[in-house]
Amino acid sequence: MDLIRTRLSLPLLFIGLSALAIVMAPNPIALAAPAARHFRIEASSFQYTPAAIHVNPGDQVTIDLVATDVVHGLYIDGYDLNLTADPGQTASLSFSADRSGSFRFRCSVTCGALHPFMIGKLNVGANDLLWRAIGLGLLAISASVWIRPHSGRAPTPGCAPRTSVDDVA
Amino acid sequence: MKAERFAWWCVLVLVLGLPLAAVLTRSNPEAIELHGRMADTGGWMPGDLTAQVGQPLQLRLTSDDVVHSFAVGQSALPAIDVLPGQWTTTTLLFDQPGKYTFYCTRWCGPNHWRMRGTLEVTGTAAEMITPTTPLYVALNLDLDAPHPSDVVPSEKPSAARGAALGLKADRPVTPDRAQSPALRWQQLRSSSLTENLSDAQVWDLVALSWRSNTTSARLAEGQQLYAQNCAACHGETGRGDGVIAPALQKTLTLPGLALTGHETIAPSDFTDARHRLGASDAIFEGKIIRGGMGTGMPYWGPIFTSEQVQALVDYLWSFQFDQ
Ligand code: HEC
Ligand SMILES: [Cu+2]
Ligand SMILES: [Cu+2]
Repeated sequence: MDLIRTRLSLPLLFIGLSALAIVMAPNPIALAAPAARHFRIEASSFQYTPAAIHVNPGDQVTIDLVATDVVHGLYIDGYDLNLTADPGQTASLSFSADRSGSFRFRCSVTCGALHPFMIGKLNVGANDLLWRAIGLGLLAISASVWIRPHSGRAPTPGCAPRTSVDDVA
Repeated sequence: MKAERFAWWCVLVLVLGLPLAAVLTRSNPEAIELHGRMADTGGWMPGDLTAQVGQPLQLRLTSDDVVHSFAVGQSALPAIDVLPGQWTTTTLLFDQPGKYTFYCTRWCGPNHWRMRGTLEVTGTAAEMITPTTPLYVALNLDLDAPHPSDVVPSEKPSAARGAALGLKADRPVTPDRAQSPALRWQQLRSSSLTENLSDAQVWDLVALSWRSNTTSARLAEGQQLYAQNCAACHGETGRGDGVIAPALQKTLTLPGLALTGHETIAPSDFTDARHRLGASDAIFEGKIIRGGMGTGMPYWGPIFTSEQVQALVDYLWSFQFDQ
């Protein structure tokens, strides 16, 4: 029994530490020095091009809004910033991306039937949560593949991986 | 018992209160309701209004689709935003009879400029103002004839450089506003005054003479009017590449639209020296007032005062000449 426990806990310890590392490790991109970023967003009925922009936390972000058909706006949730552009009159806005996360921006000027669907996204920082979740998922898969044969009844030394189902039961 | 009383009161308040509230919020029963719609779906409703000199005209404005704005041509009234789902009230007062044009100042599609209506003001004014005849009419200019320039500068001429030459190069004392920069250049070039100057320096003198015909205030006014009314087609940099330009060309190539041949369908490129330096104040002014008559260039005669047109003309030259 004791033997099984030590054989089991070593990989478990390793997996646990890896999981911790995946969750806690500082994001290398987030550590990038803040930079000035310039975007030109074209607004037409009823879309933004580009519809998503990515910046790093701390960046000084400038957005030029160019309306190409009718008057459009751009309101960024979370940052509470608003911009309105008439065709022919490019509007500009500058702010510091000091809150990380994913924020919607939407048109703030009634511009026609599909106006409520005129939305885009501002991503501040890499999508951490997604990458960490993928890391954890991969870890879980490899762990299950690895642990299974090790947790078998017979502590055969230098055991080869066995895949039969009844082994686990 | 008490509860029943209370319920009755509630019903009573509701039945009497609702119509009362409706009446009270419509503070102005005699105000005229004016609906804004994109030109393609009807424009202003109603499209013509009437008023009398000295009698206030009350309007309640709303939009049936997108954001519009209400303004009256050739008047000092500031534009009023007309928003969907919202009523805005305004009062107009006229002291001159005549046929006014009211129009939308917020771009609402390629046909935005067609969103216009007429406002007929009757009565007599204490002092009648007679409109001045535009130069292109007085001179009987052909606005549609092409006006290329045989001579073009190698770089953008600069009035400041021209001033630094220390020569007197003002345009003739009564500004000859029908003269093109190309002609002016040829005139100056053949003068003995400019014997020692290079061609580029003579162009700088031309820039100087155009600059000395206007003021900074007028240029600033022209710039603002241009941004609001012209840049969507002619481009913020004057290159004819405004955001509406592609849509404009599409509507003009529709079958059934008779083009007579020589018109450019793309909005004019004001930075193009070959095609602009042969024009004149009078031609620009005429084009702005009369429009392109089918080319897609709107007519602004009923919209701008003659001072505003002059400010626009002066500003258009800044695409050719640096200050
Ligand atoms: C809806 C699009 C549109 C708008 C708005 C517009 N233009 Fe034009 N404009 C054109 C087109 C197209 C042409 C070329 C065809 C023509 O000359 O008629 C043109 C030509 C002109 C020309 C003639 C240039 C030349 O050398 O012959 C002038 C001057 C001009 N525009 C001034 C203006 C001014 C000033 C405004 C704003 C008050 C304005 N335009 C707004 C489309 C537009
Ligand atoms: Cu919009
Ligand atoms: Cu409009």
